[in-house]
Amino acid sequence: MDRLEAELKQALSRKAPGDGFADRVARAASAEKRVVAFPTPRWAMAAAATVLLGVGGGLAYRQHQGEVAKEQVMQAMRITAVKLSHIQAHVREGRQ
Amino acid sequence: MKFATFLLLAAGWMSAQPLRLNLDHLASKASDSVDITLNGSTLQFAAKFLDSKDPDEAKVKKLILGIDGIAIRNFEFKKDGEWSAADAESVRTQLKGPDWSRMVGYKSESDGDAEVYIRTVNQKIAGVAILATSPREFTVVHISGTIDLDSLADLTGHFGMPKIKDARKSSKM
Repeated sequence: MDRLEAELKQALSRKAPGDGFADRVARAASAEKRVVAFPTPRWAMAAAATVLLGVGGGLAYRQHQGEVAKEQVMQAMRITAVKLSHIQAHVREGRQ
Repeated sequence: MKFATFLLLAAGWMSAQPLRLNLDHLASKASDSVDITLNGSTLQFAAKFLDSKDPDEAKVKKLILGIDGIAIRNFEFKKDGEWSAADAESVRTQLKGPDWSRMVGYKSESDGDAEVYIRTVNQKIAGVAILATSPREFTVVHISGTIDLDSLADLTGHFGMPKIKDARKSSKM
């Protein structure tokens, strides 16, 4: 019986933790916090980035299309104005 | 009677259509060419990008509000005789519909020829066409929609061109 008690005492006796135990615990705890803070999976973040890029690209393309349309309108009006100007000058000359 | 009504309706429908500007064969001969076709929705889209603070752009923005479409064909050539009378006639023929009338025209040896046609529907101007030719240039302008001729004439006071004061009076002939 004494031998069994001695073995139990030895097995349950306090042992000093290994070197760096506190650091390992702190690291594990902070890693766990990070997972809780950013639960979004990577594929969702990639999808969001793709959508943002798509929307941004779409807006830039729309802006470009608008600028092209504007330039065409201005050029069309410029040509019309030049022709009208010539015609009006001739009509004016004819009336004098 | 029904046939006559049909013909009248068909003629009205035909004259409301955009001009068929089949002038692609001139593009290959031209040293410079401009081919612009803009429908109403493109014009309204473009209007959003016109700056109201810029005098030229503000004028154009106001002008295109009622316009349904613009078609411009402009060809410049390095030598005479690249376009034919048939090319001009193909445009002129389409401007002989019931709604179209020739408003003004001139012939000049130095500046070439030009004609302005207007399309009126219910006594309102619904289109303007310009055919301007010289030995080395061929231009067709077709603007369809509700057009303020005064504003159109006012364009001569923009784009860096001097305003012709008497021109507006003459354009109301």
